Amino acid sequence: MTESLQIQLKKGVLEMCVLALLSKGDNYAYDIASRMAEAVGMGEGTIYPLMRRMQNDGLVSTYLQESGSGPPRKYYKLTKSGANALKAQVSEWIVFETAVRKILGDAT
Amino acid sequence: MNRAHFMAQLRDGLSGLHHTDISDILRDYESHFADGLADGRTEDEVAAALGEPARLARELRAEVGFRRWEEHRNPGNFVGVVLALLGLATIDFIILLPLLCGLAAIFFGLSIACLGLVVGGSFLLFNLLPFGWHGVMGNAAMQLLIALGLISGAIGGGALLLLLMDIVAKLLIRYARLHFRLFDTANKSI
Repeated sequence: MTESLQIQLKKGVLEMCVLALLSKGDNYAYDIASRMAEAVGMGEGTIYPLMRRMQNDGLVSTYLQESGSGPPRKYYKLTKSGANALKAQVSEWIVFETAVRKILGDAT
Repeated sequence: MNRAHFMAQLRDGLSGLHHTDISDILRDYESHFADGLADGRTEDEVAAALGEPARLARELRAEVGFRRWEEHRNPGNFVGVVLALLGLATIDFIILLPLLCGLAAIFFGLSIACLGLVVGGSFLLFNLLPFGWHGVMGNAAMQLLIALGLISGAIGGGALLLLLMDIVAKLLIRYARLHFRLFDTANKSI
């Protein structure tokens, strides 16, 4: 029960976390994936379906940039609607988190 | 699992997609391996962290199917969306199946009805030509009006049908995304 609750919670905020990472600067999938894997235990392979979906939804755009070694790298960039989505999701999250914390605080 | 094994399984899982989509996806994972190796990890470690290629392929297929529908709303791509959903094969989807079959039957019936209207209207129009077979239905003016009415009815019905399919596809896509198994419960990772 607690395990599935934790999974559902993490799944819900995955997109928000990726948007937040990208709001700090353009990035490539490997780096995003390893940060997310470290922070919330996301399977690294999941980043690609997720990025593809966010691209379909117009939240991120991509461009290629030469890398020091090997072929050019695909970078992801937050679009305007991605930035708006992040703002909306963060404010929803804060409302939710505050409400939960209040209830937990009353209980303990 | 090493890099070649992972990529082969991923490629298998993606077969049937457009080749530009496949090579685009494979390139993403190839560069992930390259970055991982440059990061000092082994191929096996990178593959393990990526997760099960067959499952990733199913999710990627679904995403590509949804995009194709959004770009070109034609019956073929609608079938693609439904097949992608079947590929995800969540238990809930089996419960949804009778509903989907019903919807498919309704869509099919409505498209046949539209086709029938077009055929009937064209038949009446054809009859108006000098060599036609006069007197099928009232006088010529009346026949012309009925024919035009039938055809415009079919056009309106067709447009409505497409609109309906779009709404249904959007709902299905939203539903499927909620059910993506982004988190691998067995490994307790996402």
